[in-house]
Amino acid sequence: MIENINNPESKTNRRSFLNYILSISGLGLAASIFYPLTSFLKPPKQNEAEVSSVLACKLSELGKQESKIIRFGNKPVILIRTADDKLVAYSAICTHLDCTVQYRKDMGTIWCACHNGKYDLTGRNISGPPPRPLDPFAVNIKGEEIYISKKV
Amino acid sequence: MKNILIFLLFFYLTANFGFSQNKSSEDQCFSCHDMLGGKPAELFKNDIHHLKGISCAGCHGGDSTSDDMDAAMNTRKGYTGVPKGDAISEKCVSCHSNPEKMKHYGSALPTNQYENIKSSVHWVNAIDGKEHIVQCITCHNAHGIVPVKNPQSPVYPINVPKTCSKCHSNEVFMRSYNPSLPVDQLQKYKTSMHGVLNSKGDSHVAECSSCHGSHDIKEVKDINSKVYPLNIPRTCSKCHSDSEYMKNYKIPTDQYQKFALSVHGKALLEKKDINAPACNSCHGNHGAVPPGVESISKVCGSCHALNAELFSNSPHKKAFDENNYPECETCHGNHEILTPTITMLGVDKTAICSKCHEENKNKKGYLVASQMKELLVRLETEEKKAGVLVDDAEQKGMEISEAKFKLRDVRQARLESRTMIHSFDLEKFKEIVDGKGLTTAKLVNEEAKAAIDDYYFRRYGLMASILVISIFAFSIFLLVKKIEKKSKNNS
Amino acid sequence: MNQLKRFYSWIDERVQLSDLVNYMAKKYVPVHRHSIWYYFGGLSLFLFTIQVVTGILLLFYYKSSADLAFESIQFIMSKVQFGWLIRSIHSWSANLFILSIFIHMFSVYFEKAYRKPREATWLTGMIMFFLSLGFGFSGYLLPWNELAFFATKVGSDIAGAVPVIGEPIKIFMRGGEDVNGATLSRLFGFHVALFPGIFTIFLTLHLLLVQRQGISEPMHFEHVEKEEKKRMPFFPNFFLRDLLFWLLVLNLLAILAVFFPSELGKKADPFASAPAGIKPEWYFLFMFQSLKYLPANILFIEGEVFGVLLFGFAGVLWLLVPFWDRKSSRGQQNVLINYLGLFAVIFIIVLTILGWVL
Repeated sequence: MIENINNPESKTNRRSFLNYILSISGLGLAASIFYPLTSFLKPPKQNEAEVSSVLACKLSELGKQESKIIRFGNKPVILIRTADDKLVAYSAICTHLDCTVQYRKDMGTIWCACHNGKYDLTGRNISGPPPRPLDPFAVNIKGEEIYISKKV
Repeated sequence: MKNILIFLLFFYLTANFGFSQNKSSEDQCFSCHDMLGGKPAELFKNDIHHLKGISCAGCHGGDSTSDDMDAAMNTRKGYTGVPKGDAISEKCVSCHSNPEKMKHYGSALPTNQYENIKSSVHWVNAIDGKEHIVQCITCHNAHGIVPVKNPQSPVYPINVPKTCSKCHSNEVFMRSYNPSLPVDQLQKYKTSMHGVLNSKGDSHVAECSSCHGSHDIKEVKDINSKVYPLNIPRTCSKCHSDSEYMKNYKIPTDQYQKFALSVHGKALLEKKDINAPACNSCHGNHGAVPPGVESISKVCGSCHALNAELFSNSPHKKAFDENNYPECETCHGNHEILTPTITMLGVDKTAICSKCHEENKNKKGYLVASQMKELLVRLETEEKKAGVLVDDAEQKGMEISEAKFKLRDVRQARLESRTMIHSFDLEKFKEIVDGKGLTTAKLVNEEAKAAIDDYYFRRYGLMASILVISIFAFSIFLLVKKIEKKSKNNS
Repeated sequence: MNQLKRFYSWIDERVQLSDLVNYMAKKYVPVHRHSIWYYFGGLSLFLFTIQVVTGILLLFYYKSSADLAFESIQFIMSKVQFGWLIRSIHSWSANLFILSIFIHMFSVYFEKAYRKPREATWLTGMIMFFLSLGFGFSGYLLPWNELAFFATKVGSDIAGAVPVIGEPIKIFMRGGEDVNGATLSRLFGFHVALFPGIFTIFLTLHLLLVQRQGISEPMHFEHVEKEEKKRMPFFPNFFLRDLLFWLLVLNLLAILAVFFPSELGKKADPFASAPAGIKPEWYFLFMFQSLKYLPANILFIEGEVFGVLLFGFAGVLWLLVPFWDRKSSRGQQNVLINYLGLFAVIFIIVLTILGWVL
C-alpha cells in the first residue's frame, strides 16, 4: 500500500480526486454566493418601503360620503370623502377600547360598532364612551392619487 | 281715646305682672306677646326652644325677665329686634355650634351644621348680595321649630319634598341662580316608588335629603357629593342593602353586592369610569322605578345601541314580550351582569339558549344556537392559534408586523360577532365569523408560518453554506499541501 | 482547461500579458517567525471587497432621506429576499474590516516595514486607515436610528471642539448647525461616493507599491545569506493560503449574520432626549473614554480641547513615523518604537474595554 504513494497511477487518482472536490466545492461556493445575491436583486412584491406617506387610493375610487380603511405602518387609518367634497383622514383606532371605527353615511358621523361611540367629521368624540378625539392624518392629493401622511 | 285704652291695658298688664315677682323666671316676652296674639307667639308655644326654657330673648336679645316693654326690649340689654339676613343664622349658630351650650340643654344634636352648610351648594349669595340664599329658618321655620322626628317639622321625612320644592320647583326663582337646573324633581318624585310611598305617609322611604344630604348638599358634579356618579351606589345601598331597614318592603337587598361584582360595577367602582352606569342610569333619579319588561332593552340600549337594535328586529323580541320575559335581563341578569362568555351560547346544559330551545322544542332556534356556538368556538380557537404563531415568529426575531396588523381584524370580527348574536340570524352571523374572522385568521396563520419557516431556512441554509465553504477550504488546504510537498521534493 | 489556454493567448497576443505574468510569478513572500502577520493585508482587501459588493447591493434598496432611511432598512430586513443576510454581512464585515486594518497597521509598525524604501506605502496605508474610520463614522448614521443619531451628534460635537478650525469642520460634517436630514444626505455622499473614490486611488497606489517593491523582509534578514532566506512564491502558495484564510473568515461572517443579525432599534427623533449611555462604535471608544477622564481644565485650555489636540498630535506623529525613526531606516533596532507601540496597543485595548463596560 505504501508503494502506491509513489505510484504515478495512484498519484493521478489522488490528483483527479483533489481536482474533483476542488471543482465541485468551488462551484458549490460560487452558487451559495450568487444565489443570495441574485435573489436579493429580484424586486419584492411590495416594491418599496413607504411608511411616512402611504398611497391610499385614486380619487376616482372614492365617492362622496364614502370611506376607506388604509393600513399606515401598523395602524389602520380611515379616509373619508365628505358630502362637501373634502378629504379627511383619522386614526381608525377608537379611543375607548381600540376597536376599528367606520364611517356611517346615514349618521353622518364616524361610528364605533363595539360600544356605540361616535365622532364627528373633525374627529372629535361627540357621543358614547370614547374619552378623546381621533388623531388626525394629513391628506395630500398628487394628480389623481390620494396620499396619507402623519400630521406634524 | 285710643291712648287711654292702651294706658289701661298697659296698667292691667303691669299690675298683673308687677305683683307677681316670682314670675320673673318666666319668659315675660312670651307671656306678653301671647296675650297680644300674633303668629310668632302661637307657634312658639310648641317650639322646642320654648319647651326647653329658652325665652324670646334667646334669639331676639333683650331682658326676658322684665315685663316692662322698655326695659325688656332695650338695646342696651342686647335687644336686636327681628334679625335680618345672615344675622338670623348667626343667632342659631351661636348656640347650635357650641357643644357646651347644647350639652347644657341636654341635647344630643350634632353641632356641625353650620360648617356643613358653609361648604354646601346652598351657601351662595342672594342676588342682592346682602345675605346667603338660605338661612336656618328657611327649612326649619322661625318660631315653631320642632325636632326632625316630629311630624309637624317641615324637615320631617314626609314633609321634606314639599319644603325643598318651595324653591326648587319655582322656575322663576331657580332661574336667577342656576338656569340649567331642572325644576320638575318633585313632579318626577311623585311618580316614583319612593314618592308614592312617601305621599302615603311612609317616613322610612327616601326623600330629598336621604340622597342629597341635609346641610352638606353639594352639586352633582362635585366629587364629594353623595350623588356624584361614583358615590351613587353607596348612597342607594345605605337603605337598599340594609335588610333590617327594608324588611317590610319585601324586595331583595343584594343589589349592591351583585352590582359590585358586575362589569358595570367594576367599571364604576374600581376603574372609576364615570361613563359606566350607576343605579340612576337605569332606574332614573327622581322618578326611580324598576324598568318595565318591554322597556328594558331601551334602557340597556341607551349605551348598547347596536345590540338593542338587533334584538328588536329579531324573532326574540316578540317571543320574549309575549312570554313576559324581561328582554336583556333574561340572559344577562340585571345587577350582576358579568362579561358574557362563550358558555352562554349553545345548546348544552350550561348555555342560556337551552333554557327554551331543545332538540324537540323550538327546534329552529336549537339548530341556530348550536351552529353559532360551533362557529364562534372555531373563531376563538383560530384567533388564539394565530396569536401564538405570530408571537413565536416575533420571538424568533422575524419581521411580522403586517400579520400582527391583520390580527386586529380577527379580534374585531370576534367582537362584532358577539354583538351579531343578538340578531339571532345565522346568515348574518356567518358573514362576520366566517367571511371576516376565519378568512383573515387563515391568512395570518399562513404569514406567521412562513416567517417561522424562514427562520429555520436561514439556519439550515447557513449549515449548508458552511459545509460547502469548509469543503472548499479543505480542498484548498490539500492543494497547498500538495504544492509545497512537490516543491520540497523538487528542491 | 484548453479553453482557458486559448483565452489567455488571445489576450496575450494583444497586451503582452505574459510579461506581467512572468513578473508576478517571481513574487516571493519571506517566511519567518512573524510571517503570519502578512495575511492581514490580504484579509483587509478581501473584507473591503465584501463591503463594496454588499454596499452596492444595499444601494438598490436604501433611501437616503430622513423620512425613509429607517423604513428602507426595515424593508430590506423583512421584505427583500436575503436582505437580512446582505445587511448583516455588510455590518459585521465593517467591524471585522476595521479590526483587520488595526492589526495590519500595528504589525507593519512593529516590523518597521515602513522604513526606507517603503515610506510611501506607509503613508498611503495610513491615509486609507483614516478614511476607513471615516467610512465607519458615515456609514453608522445611515440607518437613521436613535443610537446612530446621537452618536453622530456627540462625535461631531467633539470634532467641533478643536480650536479655530473645529467649528467650520463641524458645520461641514453636519451640513448645517444641527444633525438632520442634511447631515444624512451629506454623510451618505461621503460614504458611497467621495470616500470610495479617494480610497480607490490610495489603494491602487498602495498595491502598486507593494507589487513593485515586494513584500518587506524583517530587519534581521539583512544579516542572513540570500540562499538561506526562507521564502515561498506568492503565486500559487501564498495566494492559496491567503484564500484559505479568507474562506474561514467568510464562514465566520455567515455565522455572525445568521445568529447575530444586525439590529435596527428605534427611528431617530431629533426632539427626543438622548437615551442613557450613548457611546460611539467600538473603534472610537478608546478616544471617547479617555476624553471623559480629562479634567475640566488643563492649564488654560479646556480639557476636551486638550484631549482632541493631543490625539490629533499623536495621529500626526504616527503618520510621520518613517521620517523621524532614523534608526530603523539605518537598519538598527529601535526599542523606543517598540515601547511606544506597545503603549499604544495597551492604551487602546484597556480604554476600549473600560468604555464598553462602564
